Amino acid sequence: MSINEKFTAIRKGLLEFLVLKIVSADKVYVADILKALSETEFSTQEGTLYPLLSKMRREELVDYEWKESEAGPPRKYYELTAKGREQLRETSEYWQRIVGTVKNLGE
Amino acid sequence: MNKVTTINLNGNAYQLEESGFEALRSYLDSAAQRLEGNPDKDEIIADIECAIADKFRALLGPHKTVVVAAEVATIIAEMGPVQDPSGPAPDAQGAGAPGPGAQGGASAPGGASVPRRLYKIKDGAMIGGVCSGLAAFFGIDVSIVRILFAFLTIVWGFGLLLYILMLFLIPSAVTPAEKAAAFGGGPSTAEEFIRRAKEGYYEGMRTFHDKGAHREWKRRFKSEMRGWKTDFQREVRANRAEWAQNWSRYWAEHPQYHFGASFTVTLLEVFSLVVTLLCFYAVYSLFVHGSVFGAHLPGGIPLWLGIVGVVLLCKLVTSPAKAMRRAYRYGGGYGVGCAAVWDTFLGIGAVILALWFVGHNPAGVHDALHDAAAGLHRALDSIRDGWNKR
Repeated sequence: MSINEKFTAIRKGLLEFLVLKIVSADKVYVADILKALSETEFSTQEGTLYPLLSKMRREELVDYEWKESEAGPPRKYYELTAKGREQLRETSEYWQRIVGTVKNLGE
Repeated sequence: MNKVTTINLNGNAYQLEESGFEALRSYLDSAAQRLEGNPDKDEIIADIECAIADKFRALLGPHKTVVVAAEVATIIAEMGPVQDPSGPAPDAQGAGAPGPGAQGGASAPGGASVPRRLYKIKDGAMIGGVCSGLAAFFGIDVSIVRILFAFLTIVWGFGLLLYILMLFLIPSAVTPAEKAAAFGGGPSTAEEFIRRAKEGYYEGMRTFHDKGAHREWKRRFKSEMRGWKTDFQREVRANRAEWAQNWSRYWAEHPQYHFGASFTVTLLEVFSLVVTLLCFYAVYSLFVHGSVFGAHLPGGIPLWLGIVGVVLLCKLVTSPAKAMRRAYRYGGGYGVGCAAVWDTFLGIGAVILALWFVGHNPAGVHDALHDAAAGLHRALDSIRDGWNKR
């Protein structure tokens, strides 16, 4: 089993955290999120992202509004809700603790 | 050369190669299956469709209107399998992939209650099978439809146009299922027709087997319909304005009106009518007896050429009358003046004379009308016989 395969589940679990981070920076639509992730280990596809965003919206972490695009029909632009920002803060702290733990253990 | 299917994604029509359409359908089907039980299922599917439509739009341009199968496959690969974040990860193919049995699952199998659809039927067709298809659709004899088309063609040339349009617009019944649907069953009211048209247009509706997705499609269809309606109403208003303008101009301009103009026009109209009727009779007798007023077609000239000749001759004879009528109508116009009053008096006189004649010869008029009706019946019978012999 390669490293890549071993971390499949972890990457999947972290995706929501990363999406929260991307959306917190700016109002974005799905193609922007895909582009931001495409250069990283977390590169993903619409088939994964749309269901995830729907779930996050149901949990009131993000919200969207329809915006006209220059070409084609209007698009959904996502932004963080207050609850989403709170969640991002908590997750970030937790992530920092994990990183610290990983760094310190066995030293 | 590949067959093309038109689909509706997010309110826009896209043309896909048929195998591409099948691939897309199975992708959306399996997406719907994976999201079963997810409260946001409809919305996610709508988002996915929206994204696919975006990708299609990026591919298409003024010189490229069809998405080929390979492009659909690329786009589906780009989209990636739809994964329910709360559910288990999709297992490597297999269980999720819908079998061919899922195709057309919405339309009842069994065959008895297949909704009737309009198709061209090539079996036993004379030209393109349009008449056969129409006859099957409305459940009437094909000869009647053919005669109707021939009639429309002779009188206005409109039938030919209609036929050519339908030749291109109506799909051919090729598979046994399509042939069955062409004959179908059940009522064929206008409402039913519209419902079927909707079904045909909204092929995508069949992709989903649950109520929610179906509702979503319906909602979009309705909003689109509203758009059409406003367009249509705008057009009607514009037309009405134009008509009003034409009418006011028509009533405003009466350069000159000559005594007897309305009679001339009436006489010309009667003349045209008589010639047209004679033409009909000539075509009829050519068809049934092979001769016109005792004169046989010269050997070597086929029947259809004879009929075309007769119709052309009729048009030739009536054309000057038509031109004169137009000249009167648009040149001089029917004005309101002294001469018009005289015309009106004379017209009323003619009607009184006619009534007087009918009043004094009731038996003769009655017989003539009776004979005309019987003659028409006989003529129709012999046309049908002639057709069946052929």
